[in-house]
Amino acid sequence: MKKIAVFVLVSLLLCTGLFAQGTKEDATAAGGKTTIKWAVWDIAATTYYQPLIDAYEARNPNVKIEMLDLGSADFMTMLQTQLSGGDSTIDVVAIKDIPGYNNLVKRNLLMSLNDKVKSEGIDLSLYGGVPEALTVNENLYGLPFRNDFWVVFYNKDLFDRAGVSYPTNDMTFDEYDALARKMTSGSGANKVYGAHYHIWRSAVQLFGILDGKHTIVDGEYGFLKPYYERVLAQQRDGIVQDYATLKTSSTHYSGVFYNNSVAMMNMGSWFIPTVIKEIAAGKTEVKNWGIVKYPHAPGVAPGTTLGTITSLGVSNASKKKDAAFDFVKFVCGSEGAQIVAATGTSPALVNDQVANVIASLPGFPTDPASKEALHTAKSYIEMPLHEKAGEIEIVLNQVHDEIMTNNISVDAGIAKMNDQIKKILAQ
Amino acid sequence: MASNKTALKEQLVAYSFIAPNFIGFAVFTLVPIIFAFVLAFLHWDGANPIRWAGLSNFIALFDDDQFKAALKNTIVYTGGTVPLTLVGSLLLAVILNKKIRGRNFFRTVSFFPYVASLVAVAAVWNMMFNPTKGPVNMMLHSLGFKNVPGWAADRHWAMPTVIFFSVWKYVGYYMIIYLAGLQSISAELYEAADLDGANGWQKFISITIPQLSATTFFVLVMLTIQCFKVYDIVYMITQGGPGTATLVLVYDIYNKAFISWRLGSASAVAMVLFLLVMTVTLIQFKGEQRLR
Amino acid sequence: MVQSHTQKLKKGILYFLLCLSALIMLMPFVWMISASLKLDKDVFGYPIVWIPSNPRWQNYRDIWTTIPLGRFIANTTKLTIIVTFLQLLTSSFAAYAFAKLEFKGRNALFLGYVATIAMPWQVYMVPQFMMMRSFGLNNTHLAIICLQAFSAFGVFLMRQFYMGVPDELCEAARIDGMNEYKIWALIMLPLSKPALSTLTIFTFVNTWNDFLGPLLYLTKMELKTVQIGLRMFISQYSSEYGLIMAASVVALVPVLIVFLALQKFFVQGVATSGLKG
Repeated sequence: MKKIAVFVLVSLLLCTGLFAQGTKEDATAAGGKTTIKWAVWDIAATTYYQPLIDAYEARNPNVKIEMLDLGSADFMTMLQTQLSGGDSTIDVVAIKDIPGYNNLVKRNLLMSLNDKVKSEGIDLSLYGGVPEALTVNENLYGLPFRNDFWVVFYNKDLFDRAGVSYPTNDMTFDEYDALARKMTSGSGANKVYGAHYHIWRSAVQLFGILDGKHTIVDGEYGFLKPYYERVLAQQRDGIVQDYATLKTSSTHYSGVFYNNSVAMMNMGSWFIPTVIKEIAAGKTEVKNWGIVKYPHAPGVAPGTTLGTITSLGVSNASKKKDAAFDFVKFVCGSEGAQIVAATGTSPALVNDQVANVIASLPGFPTDPASKEALHTAKSYIEMPLHEKAGEIEIVLNQVHDEIMTNNISVDAGIAKMNDQIKKILAQ
Repeated sequence: MASNKTALKEQLVAYSFIAPNFIGFAVFTLVPIIFAFVLAFLHWDGANPIRWAGLSNFIALFDDDQFKAALKNTIVYTGGTVPLTLVGSLLLAVILNKKIRGRNFFRTVSFFPYVASLVAVAAVWNMMFNPTKGPVNMMLHSLGFKNVPGWAADRHWAMPTVIFFSVWKYVGYYMIIYLAGLQSISAELYEAADLDGANGWQKFISITIPQLSATTFFVLVMLTIQCFKVYDIVYMITQGGPGTATLVLVYDIYNKAFISWRLGSASAVAMVLFLLVMTVTLIQFKGEQRLR
Repeated sequence: MVQSHTQKLKKGILYFLLCLSALIMLMPFVWMISASLKLDKDVFGYPIVWIPSNPRWQNYRDIWTTIPLGRFIANTTKLTIIVTFLQLLTSSFAAYAFAKLEFKGRNALFLGYVATIAMPWQVYMVPQFMMMRSFGLNNTHLAIICLQAFSAFGVFLMRQFYMGVPDELCEAARIDGMNEYKIWALIMLPLSKPALSTLTIFTFVNTWNDFLGPLLYLTKMELKTVQIGLRMFISQYSSEYGLIMAASVVALVPVLIVFLALQKFFVQGVATSGLKG
């Protein structure tokens, strides 16, 4: 008896709670305008969201764009949780990385854009091969929005002081290595490192994929050996800062560049607007800097580099798919690209006009080589689309960490990658 | 009949005490947890239709390098952290329960590690224990040590580093629980012991320890659970590395759930974790019951 | 004479050890304050500079304008107070039954409570979120309140303290004709001040510092909490450590106030003389 009584009580309370909440939510949803909800990260730190929204709303007065900030560190997790079970409150999603894109597609959470691309006549060739890389089973689920490519940042004053000529837009890995060794000098607080590799796997490991002969999801990693050996040798000789030191001191790559302690640093083009802003604010030691194209293997065209793709998709559960796509089209189209470029960020839609917008920003280096460096020959995306991309990445990150901290030899590390990733691929 | 009625009434009174908490707890936490239990026997990615998995999620764990490394590391971590924290917090509580000068200051200070932002805490410890530039290794060098440890960057030292850090962070927290427990011990017990001529150590063993058994049970269970569920600290200090040297179970759960979106596999790992915790808790619970 | 000498020595050693450990405990906090007065590029520089030569007080001004920190603090304060109040009330209530009343399924129910603490949130986060959303609680503060206010932890903590209160006390009250609710309100609650203040501190700190829950449930800017705000200084491509530390110092103040205010209860304790355990 009493159990039943308690049970009834519980269920009653539950139901009242449910209904009370349900009605409350509906009341707020009304209104004359169509509201599109856009899931993004870092609203406070990103300068192009609001201009994009303002421009779009000015053109479409009866649409309101509302941003939802899911934070940058856990963005893909939070986004995918939000979309789980078919929620219609999010319409447009920003997709931060390829493993995340892959999961969204696999979980059937994104709308296929094929019909829209056809009916709206969107020219995919403007995106430099990226849409092909995002196509799964002949379906495209996201339009490329940003394409950050990797370049080499260098500190002009340090080169001038050492009397060494600046790096060029055509450097092989050997030349890069020699230049880094030449630029290393001093000790203690005055030490200048010739180069700098941030602790990300992509900053070292992905040199290996730039010859186009291998991908990072092959299951065979012998091709990484020369690159690891070169970087470990630089580390041993004090040409670059020690990985273990960087990792355990949470050193951000920007700090070492601002403090005049590295001559060259390979980093993504997203760093361009940050450097401009920080120098203008007087928060740095570095004053004169430049960029050149990524170093390359012999026989590979200069300007071959890595690309980090951010794309925009439409949630499958959205009830305003047409309106949502219209916004995506605008943001990823040429007008959106100009707005993004005006903040110094590289949009995915690249043409000369966009590159000029970035190059003519106040604070951007004035030498012709830096301008030229904005044009890439070929960019490989950091992680190709693969069903097991996420799991493979976990192993690659772990072994990278182990090799770079000298806890395992390069050979043993590569054997470990081969071994564990073959196992994942076989599942 | 009458006694039945009073018994029923007593029971209802008891349930009425529990109801406010239990209803909220059951609806918002228990239901999803039960769902997560069931998930361990299913294949689900949170979006596509659910498929039955039987025991395959569990069987797959036997051949899962990530899981095996995580299980081993979690047990080592728990085995190291629990006793050290327990002893440390009890000692600290007993000392800071005495009438010594600056007691309030020391109490507040001990609680700092628990409330201070984890980002700051991890940053400063990582800087102190930096293998090449950190003051700790500098000191060891100047003391004449040749092979100084690589701490968080060395696969043998990473786990001890994480354990040390955890103990440091939690000692103040459990000290507070012990302090509160110490207040409920009757002063008369100590007075009687004084009359019998017992010394400090004897009083500690024969009065303090037994009187604190309920508190110790709580501390033990919570500590064990906390250690088995460790995630933040590892994430902040080593990110599970180097390699898999400090990969722990919740890390593995996170990867399975949110990198691979295999929620069933993640639940299966959680079940293993749950069974481990339950076994330890049941042993402690039986111990507590016997003591009473 | 000899004894007092060794006693002095002992005391000296004790103080030395206490001061040493206090130093170790305080170090991160000192570092936090020091970092909060630096430029981002100098935060991780070696050798560690504890007192910045050129303190940047600007950081403490910037944190209020770069993000809506004031709003975040107000939100967090509201959530924390409500959660702490509910937690104290329901936990001490339920714990009384678990500690002092006999009923069917008591041990099983109690173990069940404790067992759920062992489940990592990551495992049931997705189903829980879907459920809460179906209740219409997504993007409401009520969601965080519901998730935090009814924890098993509080019940467990309070039960353990009630276990330490002699049963005879309740028996005596029952014989005097008090009903159970009265015993709870008039005897147990006043006796459990140390435990209640402990639970207050823990709940307060937990809710105040909760990050993942608000991150998932509160995606609208006007609803967000302090901890999410702190993380906003670490964005995808930049980390403003100077600002994050300044904001962390500010966020720590309420926690310390609560701790200091409640600390005296650990000392007062229960006047249990006259009772036999």
